[in-house]
Amino acid sequence: MPREQKQVRELQEGSYVMMDDSPCKINHYSTAKPGKHGSAKARVEGKGVFDEKKRSLSQPVDAKVWVPIIERKQGQVVSVSGDDAQVMDLDTYETFTMRIPEGEDFSSDDTIEYLEYEGQRKVVG
Amino acid sequence: MFPGATADRDAASYVVVGAPLDATTTFQPGTRFGPDRVRRFSETYDDYDRRTDSHFSALGVHDAGDVAPWDDTREYLDHLAAELRSVVLDGAIPLALGGEHTVTYAGVEAVTPDTLVVVDAHLDLRAEYAGNPWNHACVTRHALDVVDRAVIVGARTGSPEEWDRAAEDDVEVVAPEDARGWLDDLDPGRFADGSTYLSVDVDGVDPGFAPGTGTMEPFGLHPREVRDLVRTVAPHAEGFDVVEVNDRDDGQAAALGGKLLREFVHSHAAGSSA
Repeated sequence: MPREQKQVRELQEGSYVMMDDSPCKINHYSTAKPGKHGSAKARVEGKGVFDEKKRSLSQPVDAKVWVPIIERKQGQVVSVSGDDAQVMDLDTYETFTMRIPEGEDFSSDDTIEYLEYEGQRKVVG
Repeated sequence: MFPGATADRDAASYVVVGAPLDATTTFQPGTRFGPDRVRRFSETYDDYDRRTDSHFSALGVHDAGDVAPWDDTREYLDHLAAELRSVVLDGAIPLALGGEHTVTYAGVEAVTPDTLVVVDAHLDLRAEYAGNPWNHACVTRHALDVVDRAVIVGARTGSPEEWDRAAEDDVEVVAPEDARGWLDDLDPGRFADGSTYLSVDVDGVDPGFAPGTGTMEPFGLHPREVRDLVRTVAPHAEGFDVVEVNDRDDGQAAALGGKLLREFVHSHAAGSSA
Protein backbone atom coordinates (compact mmCIF):
# COMPACT_ATOMS: atom_id res chain seq x y z
CA MET A 1 0.00 0.00 0.00
CA PRO A 2 1.54 3.37 -1.01
CA ARG A 3 1.05 5.07 2.32
CA GLU A 4 2.96 5.78 5.51
CA GLN A 5 2.11 6.42 9.13
CA LYS A 6 2.73 9.81 10.65
CA GLN A 7 1.78 11.57 13.86
CA VAL A 8 -1.06 14.05 13.56
CA ARG A 9 1.31 16.83 14.70
CA GLU A 10 3.34 16.30 11.51
CA LEU A 11 0.41 17.16 9.25
CA GLN A 12 0.12 20.59 7.69
CA GLU A 13 -2.13 22.50 5.33
CA GLY A 14 -1.39 21.51 1.76
CA SER A 15 -0.21 18.00 2.65
CA TYR A 16 -2.20 14.77 2.36
CA VAL A 17 -3.92 12.48 4.87
CA MET A 18 -6.26 9.51 4.65
CA MET A 19 -9.78 10.23 5.89
CA ASP A 20 -12.54 7.61 5.60
CA ASP A 21 -10.10 5.54 3.50
CA SER A 22 -9.84 8.35 0.96
CA PRO A 23 -6.75 10.41 0.24
CA CYS A 24 -7.48 14.04 1.10
CA LYS A 25 -5.58 17.29 0.73
CA ILE A 26 -5.54 19.22 4.00
CA ASN A 27 -6.99 22.73 3.84
CA HIS A 28 -7.32 23.40 7.57
CA TYR A 29 -5.21 22.31 10.51
CA SER A 30 -5.66 23.74 13.99
CA THR A 31 -4.76 22.53 17.44
CA ALA A 32 -6.71 23.10 20.63
CA LYS A 33 -4.57 24.46 23.44
CA PRO A 34 -5.52 22.53 26.57
CA GLY A 35 -5.05 23.92 30.03
CA LYS A 36 -4.45 21.62 32.96
CA HIS A 37 -6.64 18.84 31.65
CA GLY A 38 -6.93 16.98 28.40
CA SER A 39 -4.44 16.43 25.64
CA ALA A 40 -3.84 18.66 22.66
CA LYS A 41 -6.24 17.68 19.93
CA ALA A 42 -5.97 18.66 16.32
CA ARG A 43 -8.85 19.35 13.98
CA VAL A 44 -7.97 18.50 10.40
CA GLU A 45 -10.15 19.36 7.43
CA GLY A 46 -9.54 18.24 3.90
CA LYS A 47 -10.99 17.57 0.50
CA GLY A 48 -10.86 14.24 -1.28
CA VAL A 49 -8.18 14.35 -3.95
CA PHE A 50 -10.22 12.23 -6.33
CA ASP A 51 -13.81 12.64 -5.14
CA GLU A 52 -13.53 16.29 -3.91
CA LYS A 53 -15.67 15.43 -0.87
CA LYS A 54 -15.01 17.54 2.23
CA ARG A 55 -13.97 15.55 5.29
CA SER A 56 -12.88 16.32 8.82
CA LEU A 57 -11.10 14.47 11.61
CA SER A 58 -10.17 15.19 15.21
CA GLN A 59 -7.34 13.30 16.88
CA PRO A 60 -4.79 13.86 19.64
CA VAL A 61 -1.64 15.33 18.11
CA ASP A 62 0.38 12.25 19.04
CA ALA A 63 -2.08 9.84 17.36
CA LYS A 64 -0.94 8.00 14.26
CA VAL A 65 -2.69 8.55 10.95
CA TRP A 66 -2.11 7.20 7.48
CA VAL A 67 -0.67 9.54 4.90
CA PRO A 68 -1.09 8.51 1.26
CA ILE A 69 1.97 8.64 -0.96
CA ILE A 70 0.51 10.31 -4.02
CA GLU A 71 2.74 10.36 -7.04
CA ARG A 72 2.94 13.38 -9.31
CA LYS A 73 3.59 12.09 -12.79
CA GLN A 74 3.91 13.28 -16.35
CA GLY A 75 2.12 11.83 -19.33
CA GLN A 76 1.70 12.49 -23.00
CA VAL A 77 -1.68 12.62 -24.68
CA VAL A 78 -1.70 9.96 -27.40
CA SER A 79 -5.20 10.58 -28.72
CA VAL A 80 -8.49 12.23 -27.79
CA SER A 81 -11.88 10.62 -28.22
CA GLY A 82 -14.86 12.67 -26.99
CA ASP A 83 -14.45 13.26 -23.25
CA ASP A 84 -11.68 10.66 -22.91
CA ALA A 85 -7.99 10.82 -23.66
CA GLN A 86 -5.44 8.07 -24.17
CA VAL A 87 -2.41 9.03 -22.14
CA MET A 88 1.06 7.47 -22.00
CA ASP A 89 3.05 7.69 -18.79
CA LEU A 90 6.39 9.25 -19.67
CA ASP A 91 8.27 7.17 -17.08
CA THR A 92 6.79 3.72 -17.56
CA TYR A 93 5.34 4.15 -21.06
CA GLU A 94 2.14 2.56 -19.72
CA THR A 95 -0.88 3.69 -21.69
CA PHE A 96 -4.25 4.31 -20.07
CA THR A 97 -7.51 6.11 -20.68
CA MET A 98 -8.56 9.02 -18.51
CA ARG A 99 -11.54 11.35 -18.47
CA ILE A 100 -10.66 14.88 -19.62
CA PRO A 101 -11.48 17.26 -16.77
CA GLU A 102 -14.15 19.84 -17.41
CA GLY A 103 -12.65 23.05 -18.75
CA GLU A 104 -9.46 21.33 -19.95
CA ASP A 105 -8.62 21.12 -23.63
CA PHE A 106 -6.42 18.14 -24.56
CA SER A 107 -4.75 17.60 -27.92
CA SER A 108 -2.47 14.83 -29.16
CA ASP A 109 1.16 15.21 -28.05
CA ASP A 110 0.22 17.52 -25.12
CA THR A 111 2.25 16.84 -22.01
CA ILE A 112 0.12 16.75 -18.86
CA GLU A 113 0.79 16.41 -15.15
CA TYR A 114 -1.38 14.11 -13.06
CA LEU A 115 -1.65 12.68 -9.57
CA GLU A 116 -1.81 8.91 -9.15
CA TYR A 117 -2.78 6.86 -6.13
CA GLU A 118 -3.79 3.20 -6.21
CA GLY A 119 -4.99 3.32 -9.79
CA GLN A 120 -6.84 6.61 -9.38
CA ARG A 121 -5.60 9.49 -11.49
CA LYS A 122 -6.37 13.18 -11.54
CA VAL A 123 -5.02 15.83 -13.84
CA VAL A 124 -3.24 18.67 -12.07
CA GLY A 125 -5.03 21.79 -13.25
CA MET B 1 -23.99 16.63 29.13
CA PHE B 2 -27.03 18.64 28.07
CA PRO B 3 -30.01 16.74 29.56
CA GLY B 4 -31.56 14.48 26.94
CA ALA B 5 -28.63 14.81 24.53
CA THR B 6 -28.18 11.06 24.53
CA ALA B 7 -27.50 10.34 20.85
CA ASP B 8 -24.12 9.08 19.67
CA ARG B 9 -22.19 11.57 17.59
CA ASP B 10 -22.33 9.39 14.49
CA ALA B 11 -26.12 9.16 14.64
CA ALA B 12 -26.77 12.73 15.76
CA SER B 13 -28.97 15.21 13.97
CA TYR B 14 -28.01 17.99 16.41
CA VAL B 15 -24.68 18.49 18.18
CA VAL B 16 -24.29 20.69 21.26
CA VAL B 17 -20.85 22.30 21.48
CA GLY B 18 -19.89 24.38 24.49
CA ALA B 19 -17.77 27.43 23.72
CA PRO B 20 -16.97 28.98 27.12
CA LEU B 21 -15.07 31.98 25.79
CA ASP B 22 -14.73 34.76 28.36
CA ALA B 23 -11.95 36.87 26.90
CA THR B 24 -13.45 40.23 25.95
CA THR B 25 -16.46 40.62 28.27
CA THR B 26 -16.63 44.31 29.04
CA PHE B 27 -18.55 44.61 32.30
CA GLN B 28 -19.44 41.52 34.30
CA PRO B 29 -17.45 38.44 33.29
CA GLY B 30 -18.54 34.85 33.81
CA THR B 31 -19.47 33.54 30.36
CA ARG B 32 -16.82 30.86 30.90
CA PHE B 33 -19.46 29.23 33.13
CA GLY B 34 -22.24 29.62 30.56
CA PRO B 35 -22.27 26.20 28.88
CA ASP B 36 -22.21 24.19 32.09
CA ARG B 37 -24.74 26.48 33.70
CA VAL B 38 -27.16 26.11 30.78
CA ARG B 39 -26.75 22.34 30.98
CA ARG B 40 -27.35 22.35 34.74
CA PHE B 41 -30.46 24.52 34.67
CA SER B 42 -31.94 22.43 31.87
CA GLU B 43 -32.13 19.35 34.09
CA THR B 44 -35.66 20.10 35.27
CA TYR B 45 -37.28 20.17 31.85
CA ASP B 46 -39.64 17.39 30.80
CA ASP B 47 -38.37 15.28 27.97
CA TYR B 48 -41.77 15.50 26.29
CA ASP B 49 -42.84 18.61 24.38
CA ARG B 50 -46.59 18.67 24.00
CA ARG B 51 -46.75 21.31 21.26
CA THR B 52 -44.68 19.26 18.84
CA ASP B 53 -45.63 15.87 20.36
CA SER B 54 -41.97 14.89 20.53
CA HIS B 55 -39.45 13.71 23.11
CA PHE B 56 -36.23 15.71 23.18
CA SER B 57 -34.17 12.56 23.80
CA ALA B 58 -35.63 10.99 20.65
CA LEU B 59 -34.55 13.81 18.36
CA GLY B 60 -30.91 12.77 17.99
CA VAL B 61 -29.12 15.37 20.08
CA HIS B 62 -25.48 14.73 21.03
CA ASP B 63 -23.42 16.80 23.45
CA ALA B 64 -19.82 17.00 22.24
CA GLY B 65 -18.68 18.80 25.38
CA ASP B 66 -16.75 22.06 25.38
CA VAL B 67 -14.08 23.45 23.11
CA ALA B 68 -11.97 25.06 25.80
CA PRO B 69 -10.67 28.49 24.82
CA TRP B 70 -7.20 29.92 25.12
CA ASP B 71 -5.70 33.41 25.06
CA ASP B 72 -5.57 33.97 21.30
CA THR B 73 -9.25 34.68 20.56
CA ARG B 74 -8.87 34.82 16.77
CA GLU B 75 -7.03 31.50 16.71
CA TYR B 76 -9.64 29.99 19.03
CA LEU B 77 -12.47 31.12 16.75
CA ASP B 78 -10.72 29.51 13.79
CA HIS B 79 -10.47 26.21 15.66
CA LEU B 80 -14.04 26.44 16.98
CA ALA B 81 -15.29 27.09 13.45
CA ALA B 82 -13.55 23.92 12.29
CA GLU B 83 -15.17 21.96 15.13
CA LEU B 84 -18.61 23.31 14.23
CA ARG B 85 -17.94 22.75 10.52
CA SER B 86 -17.31 19.08 11.25
CA VAL B 87 -20.89 18.94 12.57
CA VAL B 88 -22.13 20.52 9.35
CA LEU B 89 -20.06 18.07 7.26
CA ASP B 90 -21.74 15.23 9.15
CA GLY B 91 -25.11 16.60 8.04
CA ALA B 92 -26.07 17.70 11.55
CA ILE B 93 -27.03 21.05 13.05
CA PRO B 94 -24.53 22.74 15.37
CA LEU B 95 -25.95 24.10 18.64
CA ALA B 96 -23.33 26.27 20.30
CA LEU B 97 -23.49 27.30 23.94
CA GLY B 98 -21.51 30.42 24.77
CA GLY B 99 -19.48 31.91 25.97
CA GLU B 100 -19.39 35.49 24.94
CA HIS B 101 -21.14 36.56 21.75
CA THR B 102 -17.86 36.49 19.80
CA VAL B 103 -18.31 32.72 19.36
CA THR B 104 -21.22 33.35 16.99
CA TYR B 105 -18.67 34.29 14.35
CA ALA B 106 -17.33 30.72 14.43
CA GLY B 107 -20.84 29.36 14.00
CA VAL B 108 -21.51 31.68 11.09
CA GLU B 109 -18.18 30.74 9.50
CA ALA B 110 -19.04 27.06 9.85
CA VAL B 111 -22.55 27.29 8.44
CA THR B 112 -21.95 30.14 5.91
CA PRO B 113 -25.63 31.15 5.93
CA ASP B 114 -27.25 33.81 3.79
CA THR B 115 -28.96 35.41 6.77
CA LEU B 116 -28.08 35.88 10.42
CA VAL B 117 -31.05 36.36 12.71
CA VAL B 118 -29.81 37.58 16.06
CA VAL B 119 -31.55 38.40 19.31
CA ASP B 120 -29.50 41.09 21.01
CA ALA B 121 -29.85 44.21 23.13
CA HIS B 122 -26.81 45.61 21.37
CA LEU B 123 -26.16 46.18 17.70
CA ASP B 124 -22.66 44.64 17.99
CA LEU B 125 -21.74 46.49 14.81
CA ARG B 126 -18.58 48.14 16.13
CA ALA B 127 -15.40 47.96 14.06
CA GLU B 128 -13.48 47.62 17.31
CA TYR B 129 -14.01 48.06 21.02
CA ALA B 130 -11.23 49.12 23.39
CA GLY B 131 -8.82 48.61 20.49
CA ASN B 132 -9.89 45.02 19.89
CA PRO B 133 -11.67 44.21 16.61
CA TRP B 134 -12.59 40.76 17.98
CA ASN B 135 -14.34 42.11 21.06
CA HIS B 136 -17.85 40.74 21.64
CA ALA B 137 -19.28 44.16 20.71
CA CYS B 138 -18.12 43.61 17.10
CA VAL B 139 -19.54 40.17 16.32
CA THR B 140 -22.46 41.13 14.06
CA ARG B 141 -20.21 43.40 12.02
CA HIS B 142 -17.81 40.48 11.47
CA ALA B 143 -20.72 38.18 10.64
CA LEU B 144 -21.73 40.59 7.86
CA ASP B 145 -18.46 39.69 6.13
CA VAL B 146 -19.93 36.20 5.71
CA VAL B 147 -23.72 36.66 5.54
CA ASP B 148 -25.71 38.76 3.10
CA ARG B 149 -28.11 40.08 5.69
CA ALA B 150 -28.49 40.46 9.45
CA VAL B 151 -31.80 40.86 11.28
CA ILE B 152 -31.24 42.14 14.82
CA VAL B 153 -34.26 41.66 17.04
CA GLY B 154 -34.42 43.45 20.37
CA ALA B 155 -31.65 45.96 19.73
CA ARG B 156 -32.00 49.07 21.83
CA THR B 157 -28.54 50.53 22.15
CA GLY B 158 -25.44 51.30 20.10
CA SER B 159 -22.96 53.99 19.18
CA PRO B 160 -23.78 56.58 16.48
CA GLU B 161 -21.46 54.72 14.08
CA GLU B 162 -23.30 51.48 14.78
CA TRP B 163 -26.69 53.04 14.09
CA ASP B 164 -25.27 54.40 10.81
CA ARG B 165 -24.10 50.89 9.87
CA ALA B 166 -27.49 49.48 10.92
CA ALA B 167 -29.20 51.90 8.52
CA GLU B 168 -27.59 50.17 5.53
CA ASP B 169 -29.58 47.81 3.34
CA ASP B 170 -28.07 44.59 4.66
CA VAL B 171 -29.20 45.19 8.26
CA GLU B 172 -32.71 45.16 9.70
CA VAL B 173 -33.29 46.22 13.29
CA VAL B 174 -36.44 45.31 15.18
CA ALA B 175 -36.81 47.29 18.41
CA PRO B 176 -38.17 45.48 21.48
CA GLU B 177 -41.39 47.50 21.42
CA ASP B 178 -41.96 46.49 17.79
CA ALA B 179 -41.04 42.83 18.22
CA ARG B 180 -44.50 41.46 18.99
CA GLY B 181 -46.11 43.13 15.98
CA TRP B 182 -43.18 42.16 13.76
CA LEU B 183 -43.50 38.54 14.90
CA ASP B 184 -47.27 38.48 14.41
CA ASP B 185 -46.83 39.79 10.86
CA LEU B 186 -43.83 37.59 10.08
CA ASP B 187 -44.33 35.34 7.09
CA PRO B 188 -43.29 31.87 8.31
CA GLY B 189 -41.77 31.25 4.90
CA ARG B 190 -39.61 34.34 4.98
CA PHE B 191 -36.52 32.37 5.96
CA ALA B 192 -37.37 29.33 3.83
CA ASP B 193 -35.32 30.54 0.87
CA GLY B 194 -31.60 30.42 1.52
CA SER B 195 -29.92 29.42 4.73
CA THR B 196 -30.23 31.05 8.14
CA TYR B 197 -28.23 31.02 11.34
CA LEU B 198 -30.03 31.96 14.57
CA SER B 199 -28.13 33.46 17.48
CA VAL B 200 -29.70 34.30 20.84
CA ASP B 201 -27.71 36.70 22.98
CA VAL B 202 -29.57 36.34 26.24
CA ASP B 203 -29.15 40.06 26.97
CA GLY B 204 -31.70 40.72 24.21
CA VAL B 205 -34.24 39.61 26.77
CA ASP B 206 -35.11 42.12 29.47
CA PRO B 207 -32.63 41.79 32.35
CA GLY B 208 -35.56 41.31 34.72
CA PHE B 209 -36.00 37.88 33.13
CA ALA B 210 -32.34 37.06 32.46
CA PRO B 211 -30.05 38.94 34.81
CA GLY B 212 -27.18 36.47 34.46
CA THR B 213 -25.45 38.25 31.62
CA GLY B 214 -22.51 40.61 31.31
CA THR B 215 -24.03 43.82 29.95
CA MET B 216 -27.62 44.15 31.09
CA GLU B 217 -29.74 46.58 29.09
CA PRO B 218 -33.23 47.49 30.39
CA PHE B 219 -36.43 47.65 28.31
CA GLY B 220 -35.84 44.37 26.54
CA LEU B 221 -37.73 41.53 24.95
CA HIS B 222 -40.04 39.20 26.81
CA PRO B 223 -39.09 35.52 26.90
CA ARG B 224 -42.23 34.49 25.02
CA GLU B 225 -41.33 36.86 22.19
CA VAL B 226 -37.93 35.21 21.83
CA ARG B 227 -39.54 31.78 22.09
CA ASP B 228 -41.90 32.63 19.23
CA LEU B 229 -39.03 33.95 17.13
CA VAL B 230 -37.11 30.71 17.72
CA ARG B 231 -40.17 28.65 16.80
CA THR B 232 -40.61 30.61 13.57
CA VAL B 233 -37.00 30.63 12.43
CA ALA B 234 -35.85 27.20 13.65
CA PRO B 235 -37.41 25.08 10.87
CA HIS B 236 -35.33 27.02 8.32
CA ALA B 237 -32.12 27.43 10.36
CA GLU B 238 -28.89 25.51 9.81
CA GLY B 239 -27.18 26.58 13.00
CA PHE B 240 -28.06 27.97 16.42
CA ASP B 241 -26.43 29.38 19.49
CA VAL B 242 -27.26 30.79 22.90
CA VAL B 243 -24.59 33.15 24.18
CA GLU B 244 -23.66 35.61 26.92
CA VAL B 245 -25.09 33.53 29.79
CA ASN B 246 -23.00 33.93 32.93
CA ASP B 247 -23.26 32.79 36.54
CA ARG B 248 -24.32 36.07 38.16
CA ASP B 249 -27.94 35.21 38.86
CA ASP B 250 -29.92 32.35 40.35
CA GLY B 251 -30.08 30.51 37.04
CA GLN B 252 -32.73 32.56 35.26
CA ALA B 253 -30.58 33.35 32.20
CA ALA B 254 -29.28 29.78 31.96
CA ALA B 255 -32.76 28.30 32.37
CA LEU B 256 -34.03 30.52 29.56
CA GLY B 257 -31.06 29.68 27.35
CA GLY B 258 -31.54 25.96 27.84
CA LYS B 259 -35.27 26.17 27.20
CA LEU B 260 -34.71 28.15 24.00
CA LEU B 261 -32.21 25.53 22.80
CA ARG B 262 -34.84 22.85 23.38
CA GLU B 263 -37.47 24.96 21.61
CA PHE B 264 -35.10 25.25 18.65
CA VAL B 265 -34.58 21.49 18.42
CA HIS B 266 -38.27 20.60 18.82
CA SER B 267 -39.30 23.23 16.27
CA HIS B 268 -36.55 22.37 13.79
CA ALA B 269 -37.33 18.66 14.00
CA ALA B 270 -41.06 19.29 13.59
CA GLY B 271 -40.42 21.63 10.69
CA SER B 272 -38.03 19.23 9.01
CA SER B 273 -40.48 16.36 9.19
CA ALA B 274 -43.48 18.48 8.25
